[in-house]
Amino acid sequence: MDTNADNMILPFAKNIFTQPPYKSNPPDLLGGFCSGCNDYFFPKPGYCPKCLGNIQTRPIGNKGTIYSFTVVRTPPLFDLPSPYAIGYIDLIKTKLRVFGLFDPEALDQLKIGARVVLSVKSLGTDSQGSPRLRPCFILEPENEHTMI
Amino acid sequence: MAVASVTGVGIIPFGKHSGKSIIDMGAKVGYLALKDAGIDPSKIQAGFFANGLAGRLFGDSTIGQNVFWELGINKIPVVNVENACTSGSSAFYLAYNMVAANQVEIAMVIGAEKMCVPEFGLINSGETELDTQLGLIAPASFAMRAIRYMDEYDCKPEQLAQVAVKNRQHARLNPNAQFKDPISIDMVMDSPMIVDPLTRFQCCPIADGAAAVILCSENIAKQMNRSVNIESAILCTGSYGNNQDMILWETDTRGCNLAYEKAGIGSQDIDVFECHDAFTISEILHYEALGLCDPGEGIRFLEEGHSRLGGKKPVNVSGGLLSRGHPVGATGVAQIGEIVTQLRNEAGPRQVEGAKIGLAHCMGGDKSGDTKSCTVAILSV
Repeated sequence: MDTNADNMILPFAKNIFTQPPYKSNPPDLLGGFCSGCNDYFFPKPGYCPKCLGNIQTRPIGNKGTIYSFTVVRTPPLFDLPSPYAIGYIDLIKTKLRVFGLFDPEALDQLKIGARVVLSVKSLGTDSQGSPRLRPCFILEPENEHTMI
Repeated sequence: MAVASVTGVGIIPFGKHSGKSIIDMGAKVGYLALKDAGIDPSKIQAGFFANGLAGRLFGDSTIGQNVFWELGINKIPVVNVENACTSGSSAFYLAYNMVAANQVEIAMVIGAEKMCVPEFGLINSGETELDTQLGLIAPASFAMRAIRYMDEYDCKPEQLAQVAVKNRQHARLNPNAQFKDPISIDMVMDSPMIVDPLTRFQCCPIADGAAAVILCSENIAKQMNRSVNIESAILCTGSYGNNQDMILWETDTRGCNLAYEKAGIGSQDIDVFECHDAFTISEILHYEALGLCDPGEGIRFLEEGHSRLGGKKPVNVSGGLLSRGHPVGATGVAQIGEIVTQLRNEAGPRQVEGAKIGLAHCMGGDKSGDTKSCTVAILSV
């Protein structure tokens, strides 16, 4: 993840996740926060959709549980691995339900309620075919013992 | 008395139409609708043309003016409508409101789509959207609903597959359907896996196709023999709030209830339904949103045969998207056309006996785990 090679690779989009190198701070998703409404959003909107106030960029959490998932077996867009898995994750910190990729190495072990943690990997490309960093959720190891 | 009616329907078989352009197909169904209504083209006062994908696939835009011109219809307002899978029913919604507001007396809606081309991939919300860049394609959002539904209500993929089998049985009776050969649960389950747990036969096929309807005011309808009343036509969008429930679909339920409320009737009063069965799980979720059964009872409703032709609430007797095919811009118009045909008692072997009230339901697009649009139209005779 945090190798020199991956440091050369650009994120697939701006302001969706914190940038490497991660060192003591693990990767986190970036969303929006409205201090007036005390509400988080992902992805970050231009204005607060509730009060039209200013939105700050904030980390929204890197741990959660799987709400649902699927494995996509059609030829992928952006040269993603084939097959690949996606789903909705309920983040513990902000209670947001966010859409994201799962670790392509562990497709068979996905389960509703399983605990996941965010990782950032070189996954797929941009529309020109250059490799890009994308966030993906990996199953937490203790998952084998404690299912929610 | 309804403020607007449908007085003409035109449709061509859905499937591959090699060598036919969107304009060719659109003009053909427009011609058929004019003939069906017995109306001269000069009487059409507004035209709405629906198409979902020609901009992306062919770089085309404002096709409607070309289509209506082919029919000798010009000078009038023509509006091109794109609203993903509800493009056709959104165009119908606009035409209905224009007639209801007494702005015109007769309006025509044409939906046409060409998808059977080598350029076509899987539908997504556009490659610049965040979800698409993270791998979301349209079938996947329904696959996630299916996995959550099966987990919550303890049912199996084979049970979902029965939707495809039922709608294929219906399609056999519809000469305009794309796929008419019977299929079994085993065939559905053995077809290639697209997005777990949805196999190919649980996903609606791409198709070329077109459909048209002509709407008219109450005054004009009185002079016509076979007009069908529009009791309500609604369009709503999602809330896109967080923590979308992927089973109890708030937008779907809200849309259906709004249509019932505006028509002053409930699901118990309706004899025949067309709903947006883009995937097998979709039809199960829509039974529940339409109020045909309680949440979690969709599979049982299907297995007890209530949604079959001959059941108490037949759903998708046309074959639905799963077997009639899904030329995006044409679908919403074709669904309304099917309900009109049923209420006119002209549906031949797939006729729902004594149908007096029917409902057409359509959904399109994805945003934040919700739909981008939901339309419902209720018609009666």
